[in-house]
Amino acid sequence: MPEISAGDTAWVLMSAALVMLMTPGLAFFYGGLVRRKNVLSTIMHSFFILGLVSVTWVLWGYTLAFGPDTGLGLIGGLDWLALEGVTGEPSSVYATTVPHLAFMAFQMMFAIITPALITGAFAERKRFKAFVLFAVAWSTLVYAPIAHWVWSPDGWLFGLGVLDFAGGTVVHLASGVAALVAALFIGRRSGLIAPATEPHDVPMTVLGAGLLWFGWFGFNAGSALGANGLAATAFVTTNTAAAMAAITWVTISWLHRGTPSVLGAAIGAVAGLVAITPAAGYVTPAASVLIGLGVGVVCYGAAMLRLRARVDDALDVFSVHGVGGAFGAIATGVFATVAVNSAGVNGLIEGNASQVAIQAIGVVAVGAYSAVATALILVAINLVVPIRVAGPAEEAGLDLAQHGEIAYQP
Amino acid sequence: MVIAALVCFGILLVAWILAPSDTSHPRVEPTAVEPTPEAESLPLAA
Repeated sequence: MPEISAGDTAWVLMSAALVMLMTPGLAFFYGGLVRRKNVLSTIMHSFFILGLVSVTWVLWGYTLAFGPDTGLGLIGGLDWLALEGVTGEPSSVYATTVPHLAFMAFQMMFAIITPALITGAFAERKRFKAFVLFAVAWSTLVYAPIAHWVWSPDGWLFGLGVLDFAGGTVVHLASGVAALVAALFIGRRSGLIAPATEPHDVPMTVLGAGLLWFGWFGFNAGSALGANGLAATAFVTTNTAAAMAAITWVTISWLHRGTPSVLGAAIGAVAGLVAITPAAGYVTPAASVLIGLGVGVVCYGAAMLRLRARVDDALDVFSVHGVGGAFGAIATGVFATVAVNSAGVNGLIEGNASQVAIQAIGVVAVGAYSAVATALILVAINLVVPIRVAGPAEEAGLDLAQHGEIAYQP
Repeated sequence: MVIAALVCFGILLVAWILAPSDTSHPRVEPTAVEPTPEAESLPLAA
């Protein structure tokens, strides 16, 4: 029986709490970006998911994602339904120095924030009832299988050698692609003056970005699953990439639009955090500078392209999380080195070009599955509950039309 | 106990499907507010 480490356990539980805070942080980040008549509904998406997925994860999500494999490396079995057999003793497979329940709780926070990320794509026009059904279906049918593929020792992408330290593909690519599909399915918002979003409260968004940045230390450094040097490496690479991407985004917007955008600093930091997520425990701090720079350029370009394409991914979820997640996954294959993590592999820079191809397979597989499964879920739910609210409700704003409340008194 | 927990969630799921889709609250129209000068904009003599 493996022994519990007090230090590792404390760090993993603390990290779970840090990642939990990211979801309310995301609510603020998205809430500030929408128009004032939709701020409550946008915040509600994240906050309701915090409750909803906490329960579904305990009941069946964890066992589907991390339970003993059913045989093909595609999905876990029902052995741990409602956490039967998941106790205060360590697992023999996952994080063997912390209680199994602590590992489960840490993973639960990832499962919560992933569908919450998607909500930015259909903000300001999605019916709440349809959103609830979508969140249950997506976290069960998309998130859990992909987490199993990548993070279970029996998962087929894990077996292929795909590296994803903290969820670049599982969390960000999967949610980013789903967001694009959702935006295409639900259609453009009505009444927009410009194709760009109309943030009603930039300070709220910057506050949200700050909370996300703070919580991301749990997301990435916590994924070391121990209080050790690897956690310290992930902590430093995470902060460095976020910082580099933030100042890169600001610089580009300064040159491109003539002003150093505050909103750009916030979004750039998030893009950096996304890109370093799969790489955080496999690359050096110097490499994280390059990853931050690269993702700042790439995601800024993706956001500009999105405006030209006039796809109303309302809060740029695909540009930041989809593109940033794919970029980070490929960059992991370029910059990974066993000098940082002996459990990893070398990447292109260290002479192992095949790791880039393996990472690319992971990106394509996760992206394609998320796209197809998300589309099927949306079509199915739309047959039961119309996903988009009626025109008058959209005009009135979802805060009032869907929740009967308003954020700010007139 | 596992079955009971799953049934509890199932009850909520059915409730969500049956719940009303939109509120019947009337639209709140903005009301005119008398502008009041902020403290720092008042003349010092005041």
